[in-house]
Amino acid sequence: MAGAGTVTDTDPADALAAVAALRRLGDRLEDSAVESAMRAGWGWPQVAEALGVTRQAVHKKHAKRLIAAGVALRRRDA
Amino acid sequence: MTESGRLLKEILERGRAEARRSGSTVVEAEHLLLALAAHPGTSAQHVLAAADLGRDAVRAALDREFAVSLRVAGVELSDVDLPVATADPERAVGLGTSAKLVLDRAVRRAGLGPGRIRPAHLLLGLLDAEVGTVPRALALAGVDRLELVRRARAALAEEEDR
Repeated sequence: MAGAGTVTDTDPADALAAVAALRRLGDRLEDSAVESAMRAGWGWPQVAEALGVTRQAVHKKHAKRLIAAGVALRRRDA
Repeated sequence: MTESGRLLKEILERGRAEARRSGSTVVEAEHLLLALAAHPGTSAQHVLAAADLGRDAVRAALDREFAVSLRVAGVELSDVDLPVATADPERAVGLGTSAKLVLDRAVRRAGLGPGRIRPAHLLLGLLDAEVGTVPRALALAGVDRLELVRRARAALAEEEDR
């Protein structure tokens, strides 16, 4: 199955490092994307649904940070 | 608290600050390396500085590792619009798996209880890793990891003679 240039041809150290880096990139993108959405007036339910996670999860992960950042949050159930 | 214990606490606190600053939810090995490079007056910092690894040089090496590793997956970091999210200055930051491994290895290097770990032991704990973000970043920066190990051990031996 694996053709030239697929990740299976890559040195395992490089392939695993790519996974670790993508996870870090995903976390960073999530932080900035959620912040942008909330600044644009999105509510937690929409942000959660867009990310495919529960409202509780997204609130727990980001609410404190965004309140500290001075983002005007809509009501949690808004 | 012993002198070693106090220093270790300060360096871990600095590692937490580095983790928060980079938006990480936990302290990783790379944050401990940044902390060691930044914490003034320790033999670990001297060893790193002698290899041109000041705090900002370490940061640059880590950023390069990030970009290079993403490229393996076909992601070009310069193409990604990455607005910086606001960090939470109050966020509780625990120790991640890679940082715990560093501490375990530092304890092994010290051969003593955790209260006796000196910054150079922590550096050895970091340098003992053969895979992961830190050794990759050091290799990309052209640093000879084993030479750094030798220098850190020499610095420790000198401290013990005092």
